[in-house]
Amino acid sequence: MRREDLTTRVVKDMDPELFDFLTTYVDSFIKWDLLRFFHENPHTMDTSENIARYAGRTAEDVQAELRDLASQGLLVEMPMDDMRVYMLKADPAIKTRLQKFVEATQDREFRRKVIYHMVRH
Amino acid sequence: MQNQTRVTTGIPGLDAMLNGGFLPRTANLVEGAPGTGKSTLGMQYIYESALRGEPGIILTFEEFPEQYYRDAASFGWDFRELERQNRLKIIMSSPEVTKADLEHVGGTIQNLIAEMGAQHMLIDSITHFEGLRQDPVELRKLLYSYLNALKRQDLTLILTRESTHLFGEGIEGQLDASIQFLADTYVMLRYIEIESMVQRAIIVLKMRGSAHDSTIRQYEINNHGIEVLQPFEGREGLLSGTPKRMTESFMRAFVRR
Repeated sequence: MRREDLTTRVVKDMDPELFDFLTTYVDSFIKWDLLRFFHENPHTMDTSENIARYAGRTAEDVQAELRDLASQGLLVEMPMDDMRVYMLKADPAIKTRLQKFVEATQDREFRRKVIYHMVRH
Repeated sequence: MQNQTRVTTGIPGLDAMLNGGFLPRTANLVEGAPGTGKSTLGMQYIYESALRGEPGIILTFEEFPEQYYRDAASFGWDFRELERQNRLKIIMSSPEVTKADLEHVGGTIQNLIAEMGAQHMLIDSITHFEGLRQDPVELRKLLYSYLNALKRQDLTLILTRESTHLFGEGIEGQLDASIQFLADTYVMLRYIEIESMVQRAIIVLKMRGSAHDSTIRQYEINNHGIEVLQPFEGREGLLSGTPKRMTESFMRAFVRR
């Protein structure tokens, strides 16, 4: 079976909104961690080093992913003195989409699809 | 002095010790060892204020907001609902970032305070500032500027500070002298051992611009939060952590009347 066919089969019954969120923002386990972190702690405002510490990851790993999420419009990246500070975008629509995604990951089958998507990416 | 407007702490017994409550736009330090209830006292203050329609912010440098939601729920305080109603926000950040943010006009925290109409803030904990400056003088200047930036927003603050020793006196960090001078009120929470039982004691050591109760009172943390009880009686050396009974002759002469 060709890769495209398998992909189509795995995600064919996924909610289009969730599919769009998944393909736009979630291409690594670290991003998945960060998304969950910002959902649970929505008023976090900190540097990549501190966010990495909160998330139990290395600063190098987290920095690139935070920048990605900021460039994709989910986070805001702000220069502050000699620091770069990240926070969740204060857009209710984004928060609602994030909540929907995190809630969907409570489902084992959905998590399998997310993992499949990330491994394939 | 007696007629000044007061900001209730939400804890009647503590209000009584503070002659009615904190003074508005002041920085109020609550110091204690782990488990004495510093954060609980701060959360109760924020919760009771929010219920009265006075929004508040919790600025945490240590605990995840989730921890506050969970701890608050154990007292029956629904912090998530208060957040939905825009009467509470829990910001997780670090001293260096919030300091830089407050120094900028139109910073995130300033905007949030304005948007919510926040009147109260819990900073949990101020101990984390120790890592920002090695020099105590520089640290004191930094804290002075930081607290003034928040008071400028018309906030009444509770600052928690960890005490490293469980009982009695001990060696504190360099933040010790600075923050005790800078804070308008200094409330100490202590463990005290009496007859092989650990009890909790609360004392107001300082309240700038106001009279205050100078007795050492018992308090407990129950299902509703912190409840301040009666003063300890017939004991001396309470702040050492291991008080002794006053002698009977002393009690007869000076205490029992």
